Amino acid sequence: MMRKTLDRKLSRRKFLGTTAASGAALAATGTGLSRVSFAAADTIKIGFLAPLTGPVSAWGKPGLDGCLIWADWVNAKGGVKIGGKSHKIEFVGYDNEYDAGKARTGATKLIKEDGVKFIMMLGGDTWPGVEKIAAREGMLFSTLLPSDLTPDTKTLVAPCEVHPIYNVTGVEWLAENKKNLKTAAICAQDDALGKPSVATYLAAFEAAGIKMVDAPLFFDPATTDFAPVMTKLLAKKPDILCLDTCYADYVHPLCEQAFQQGYKGQIISCTADFYQKIVEKTSKDFMEGFVFQFPDFDDPALNAKEVNFVNPNEFYAEYAKRFGAKEWSAVSWEYASIMDLWADAAAKAGSAEPGPVLKAMKAGGTGKHAFGDAKWWGKELFGIDNALVGNWPVVVIEGGKAKIKAFKSIPAWWDKHSKLMIKHMTALGQMWNQR
Amino acid sequence: MDLLWQTAINAMYAASYMALIAVGLVMIFGVMGVINFAHGELYMAGAYCVVFLYAQEKFPFLLSVAGGLIFVGIVGLLMERALFRPLRKNPLGGLIASIGFLLILQTLAVFGFGRRMGHVPPSTHGKIEIFGAILTYQRLFVIVVAILLLAALWTFLKRSKFGWALRACAQDAEAASLQGISMNQTARIAMFIGAALAGVAGALTAPLVSPTPYIGHSIIVTAFIIIIVGGIGSLEGAVIAAVLYAFVHTFVTTFFDGVIANIVGLALMLAVLVVRPTGLFGAKERA
Repeated sequence: MMRKTLDRKLSRRKFLGTTAASGAALAATGTGLSRVSFAAADTIKIGFLAPLTGPVSAWGKPGLDGCLIWADWVNAKGGVKIGGKSHKIEFVGYDNEYDAGKARTGATKLIKEDGVKFIMMLGGDTWPGVEKIAAREGMLFSTLLPSDLTPDTKTLVAPCEVHPIYNVTGVEWLAENKKNLKTAAICAQDDALGKPSVATYLAAFEAAGIKMVDAPLFFDPATTDFAPVMTKLLAKKPDILCLDTCYADYVHPLCEQAFQQGYKGQIISCTADFYQKIVEKTSKDFMEGFVFQFPDFDDPALNAKEVNFVNPNEFYAEYAKRFGAKEWSAVSWEYASIMDLWADAAAKAGSAEPGPVLKAMKAGGTGKHAFGDAKWWGKELFGIDNALVGNWPVVVIEGGKAKIKAFKSIPAWWDKHSKLMIKHMTALGQMWNQR
Repeated sequence: MDLLWQTAINAMYAASYMALIAVGLVMIFGVMGVINFAHGELYMAGAYCVVFLYAQEKFPFLLSVAGGLIFVGIVGLLMERALFRPLRKNPLGGLIASIGFLLILQTLAVFGFGRRMGHVPPSTHGKIEIFGAILTYQRLFVIVVAILLLAALWTFLKRSKFGWALRACAQDAEAASLQGISMNQTARIAMFIGAALAGVAGALTAPLVSPTPYIGHSIIVTAFIIIIVGGIGSLEGAVIAAVLYAFVHTFVTTFFDGVIANIVGLALMLAVLVVRPTGLFGAKERA
């Protein structure tokens, strides 16, 4: 068929001629592009090294999507001003598939081949693959999981999410507002994300006077059938079902199982990504009062003057327009908020180089966190003050929609209950000197 | 007592879909001598048929499940023709080809449905109570369909000419060939049935799991444990091992935890291999 078409419409000479012309045009385009790139030598590249595929991609890909919006907005205004000169920002993504080995390869490529000035990561199980490269190259990295921090990780900062410490705010709010809740059961996947979060929830429940009905239930991350997990969790009839920091792929079936096995009590979870789909699978009534920690950014409460994230409602609207509101996840805004902090620090430092930016970022021991002014903290828990801690929102599902109910202070909780946190972190082997 | 019943019901459900997958894997290995590493991805393909037909295109659930069965069966036929037949004399070649095909299926799923989990609303919220334990209609449906399909397969294999041909090929392909049984024909039937069983398992369970392009990984590991315990090549062994594994795994998960359950599952396989290296029903009662 194709040959016939060729015979009928194109002579061999014509075909070769057209191909050559196309090739030349492409080459010209290529040259043009590299000239544009060369002219835009002022472009600063930022690495995005996170899971973009696989079960943990819900905490990587939406973050990169959010960063692209951030870059478009910043670049449309001329870029980031550093040392009196405007610089466009370009993100270079690398999918580490939540694998330490792939993270190592990605970090090497981003630093050596792409020449990035800063690398954002999800962290967790992937950080050990990158740690030595970060130390050797002096590259500035960020993580969403401050449990990656140790006294040796001098160029790693956790400037946005103080996971899992902010989970204490949800439990504290629950204890203040639903005083009838006295017992809880908790489950988590058995990995670097699940365990420190379990320790945090255990500390928060103990501080709130809520008793655990059973030891924490850890399940294999390869689990697909959650019926036995839920049967065990509900066996001792807890008032609160705590889903810890389970990935979205687990939170959904766990909620569905709780619904199917007739649970009618309170649920608390670190995240509830794509919660509209959980509502569809269960019911509005079942999900009413579900407490978690990550707001939709169309929430009017984010327009409070204390909130530092720039134009949260507009950001959410743009995200929903580009990717769909149902694709909004816990991390859609987080990496973008880290970029706010980085851009501010680079402007102050007058340089995009990792060392001066880090110094400017931590100057004075305080920083502008997305949810309000915060302080660099973490020595007692992580051995280094590289986590930016302040207020964190408590979010509740009401009528099928997430709403911020309060902003609670993490440092205030820490001042009262730090010993409990250290006790439970130590018991689960999650202190920096145990990991 | 409620807890015991609930755990038993959970185990019955797990045994049902695991048996479908394991029997399909055994069919393919028994007749064609190929270890099909892409079997977990055939399960995934069945699940995505329901994501597409039922969740996206709003076809009735039963029709979508039937669609999954037929579609994945046809994928099996294509695998037989394009991958396994040319490599019939090279068992290692079939295995490697199936690994390659696994990656192709995963990539196609990512292209077609994205990287994140597929969302399948339940076809019903109905449930019944049995001695204080809850069994949803969705899970009951999986159990009933699995029993019916396995009974139909058993009847087909024991009572029909094609079934005899399949069993003959599984016992001795050369002798069967000398009796005038077409190897190509039996391989086609075995591949269609084996793939369709994995596909229907995925389709039936799609509303109960979160289908992702990578869900096949955990499924194939469990399926291999089951067919090793049951005896590679034994259909009866696969069914009994699926029930045994599902009950052990579910009870240990409920009364201890999921990580220990996996260790116990592997220990069960090791124990069977030490005591009876051919598996519970291996060699003695091949398909």
